[in-house]
Amino acid sequence: MGASIDVRDLARAAAGGDQHGWDGLVERFGELVWSTIRAYGLSPGDGADAAQTTWLLLAEQLGHLEAQHERLGVWLAATARRESLRLLGAARVATAAPNSPPATEPAAGAQGREALLWRVVRELPEHCRRLLRVLLTVPPPSHEEVSAALDLPVAGIAAARAACLQDFRHRMSNFSIRAELEDS
Amino acid sequence: MSRDTNETAEFLGPEDEGLLQELRAAVRRFDPPPDSVLEVARASLTWRTIDAELAALEFDSAVDVAATAVRSSEGPRLLTFAAPGLSIEVEVSPIGPRRQLVGQLVPAQAARIDVRHAGGVTTVRADQLGRFGADAISAGPVSLRCHLGDAPSSPPVVTEWIPL
Repeated sequence: MGASIDVRDLARAAAGGDQHGWDGLVERFGELVWSTIRAYGLSPGDGADAAQTTWLLLAEQLGHLEAQHERLGVWLAATARRESLRLLGAARVATAAPNSPPATEPAAGAQGREALLWRVVRELPEHCRRLLRVLLTVPPPSHEEVSAALDLPVAGIAAARAACLQDFRHRMSNFSIRAELEDS
Repeated sequence: MSRDTNETAEFLGPEDEGLLQELRAAVRRFDPPPDSVLEVARASLTWRTIDAELAALEFDSAVDVAATAVRSSEGPRLLTFAAPGLSIEVEVSPIGPRRQLVGQLVPAQAARIDVRHAGGVTTVRADQLGRFGADAISAGPVSLRCHLGDAPSSPPVVTEWIPL
């Protein structure tokens, strides 16, 4: 539980106005916030607004969240989810058109195994794409954080992950590189 | 950094763990948080208001009626924030890349209002009837900080940030 003590210390320092403590929180959770937003398929522009709003809300409310300082990742993931859904809703009103999931295409000519892995991730069914996008955060999120990011019951995450990884492997094998996967 | 890995590793075989490591590397390469996003996140602490009363977003027409009002979306977006003893109602109209705000304090009262947005801070006044307006607000996250007229020494009321 050393990690949560670290976060609590950072949160307490940041709540007192300490920029280093705050920077530590951004370093620890910046990727979780971004992963959550990207899991919902926001465009880079909307995603930047959702991320900024999430961090501004934390800055404003940190002093009122003392009881949650140990679980700030959960609070941030839930807030990033809410703000993502808000921006998706606002975009739907503004355009009266469905938000097409923005493709982060591997750059033209991007070769190699990583590009292939990424392509297969993006072809997964939506629930698996979302789950993996959040699970692949660095540092790896807790199940409570994944649950908050995706509004899933904690108890179902391990099984869902197993099913999605199986689906992923199946798709990879369709690319006829199963041998390479098993060798590595 | 890897302290939490055990939790994620639950029910995972070594093959799964190896695959997840590879996938993490792919995500880091193709969809990392942009530097600009992290920079803005680090700068967010400077916007906090010490000892402020928080006004929560209670209603947002873009979200709360989006499902039913498919074509009536041309009117202004309506927001309501609530703090103990004060409501702040705001109409938001887009004008190109800018936003125009027209608002009302309930109960009606004079106030000085700082509209905080990506372009800086725009300070306007609410009249005795609680009415206020602000033009040329930058698109992106916005928050209002209200210094109420009849209680100049009381803490300001600050709304939740919301992207407009």
